[in-house]
Amino acid sequence: MRDQPGSSVTETKGSPRSRKLVVMDWIESRTGFVSFSRKNLDEPMPPGVGWWQTLGNLLMTLLIFQFVTGVALAMFYAPTPDHAHQSVAYIMDGVTMGAFIRGLHHWGSSFIVLVATLHMLRTFFWGSYKKPREMTWVIGVLIFQVILGFSFTGYLLPWDQKAYWASVVGTRIIATIPYVGEHLMVLVRGGKEVGALTLTRFYGVHVMLLPAALIVLTGIHLYLVRKHHISGPVTPRKGRPAPFFPVQLLRDAVVVLVASGLLLMLAVAFRPELGGVADPSGVTFTPRPEWYFLGLYEFLKLMPPSLEVVGTLIVPSMVTIGMLLLPWLDRVESRHPAKRGWIIDLALFMILGIGVLTLKGVLSEPPPPPKAPEAEAVLAPAPTPPSRP
Amino acid sequence: MTSLEPTQMEQSCMRHEPEPPGEKVPRRKLLGWLVGVINLGVFAAIFTPTLRFIADPMRRKKGSDAWIPVIGDGEIAEGETRSVDYRVNVDDGYMVSPLRYSVFLHRSGGEVFAFSPTCPHLGCNVKFHSQNDRYICPCHGGVFSADGGRISGPPPHGLTKLPAKVENGQIWIQRV
Ligand code: FES
Repeated sequence: MRDQPGSSVTETKGSPRSRKLVVMDWIESRTGFVSFSRKNLDEPMPPGVGWWQTLGNLLMTLLIFQFVTGVALAMFYAPTPDHAHQSVAYIMDGVTMGAFIRGLHHWGSSFIVLVATLHMLRTFFWGSYKKPREMTWVIGVLIFQVILGFSFTGYLLPWDQKAYWASVVGTRIIATIPYVGEHLMVLVRGGKEVGALTLTRFYGVHVMLLPAALIVLTGIHLYLVRKHHISGPVTPRKGRPAPFFPVQLLRDAVVVLVASGLLLMLAVAFRPELGGVADPSGVTFTPRPEWYFLGLYEFLKLMPPSLEVVGTLIVPSMVTIGMLLLPWLDRVESRHPAKRGWIIDLALFMILGIGVLTLKGVLSEPPPPPKAPEAEAVLAPAPTPPSRP
Repeated sequence: MTSLEPTQMEQSCMRHEPEPPGEKVPRRKLLGWLVGVINLGVFAAIFTPTLRFIADPMRRKKGSDAWIPVIGDGEIAEGETRSVDYRVNVDDGYMVSPLRYSVFLHRSGGEVFAFSPTCPHLGCNVKFHSQNDRYICPCHGGVFSADGGRISGPPPHGLTKLPAKVENGQIWIQRV
């Protein structure tokens, strides 16, 4: 009877088991949910699917964490220049578990960028974006853009020096776009300068627009993943596909457990910092972006003025467009990395480049606020000697 | 059309079979267009005002050109460059914020020059290093001379010069 949830219940009326069946029966006939979840638990996993395929599930779990802590933070946060910093300080010191919840949200964002990157690298090297899964990849790239949008808009909200100056520079990059740049920047900032309307704008995008976009995109992504099933290893292995439940689901659970444990430890051990309140006259402050934008930051340092727009616009948008078009750029039928030629070389080159630049950015971190040797520390990262004509 | 049984008509709808002959404009196509036009109109009616609403800041004029007193005339010597903080009330969306800004003043040949600290590259505040008489931007390493000219690094041009004047024993600047 269990296998036919739609059937009616006749025997052993009144026993707990039959009562449970009646309930299941009702749910199934009204929603189809029982057979839906059964179908998903039985989803066939080709032989060779293993730990690498747990990253998508981990990413989704982390996004849900972020949603939960985000809703909670929004209940205490005020997006105005005269109260934003104050309300975050209150969250940190006045609210029970405040520093911890903000810590989860803060460290969670780094986890998400990291896991999303790993998930994409896995998909890339396994060639999983090839026919018929092109659109799954495209939607995934869009989700990655949404995630970066979350980081960028969320970074401003605490309204401390770091937040303010990173956003001044970050939005200023938009102004380097030829012709429309200045206007676009005003549109993004909600004014000529970063101020009250920038804060409400970023807040609105961070808590309304991007979550809505993320939910829709994730829904489509999951639908497509189920429609085309998991791709399996690059060279098909012998053996029968195993159902998703229990082995793969258990792997998922173990990975989520380990990652959540790490996240909780980070949130307990390291208080997210809250610097001094945003100050437009801050001549003593050196802005730095979040670590995952450091690669771009270092790249901008390398660009001479005539090539500025190459660093701010052309290279980043070409990388994005290239990623969106990847399934059509890589025309080799084989999914094996060794057989895919230039696309693998190019990707390795880019990964290496981004890695080196990010590392350079991390290492060139100026020592926080020591007063006396500051001039030296500031002079150090200058990329070109002042003697250049 | 009327001669068709309902079930047949339903089937033909579902299968998108060709319209029965004899109609100039196929009815299904016409109604489909109508639905499309209605939806487009409704969306435009909601989205257009919303987009104009969001774009409101683009219609605002630039900041005020009022003269602001910053320091006394005697407080800066010939050849000296110093950073001075001043407060102004700035229209900031729905509020007026008393904000603190800074400006670099430089006196040369008896004349006073004012430079905005905002780096013309991506807008970090530059710092002045008196030991080598240079402005250096901490963000991507732009270097400027004491008269504001660009020396090296990613900035496209020199520091922005602000209008400055000496009047009634005070140095005044304009924020533009
Ligand atoms: S902002 Fe000054 S060098 Fe980039």
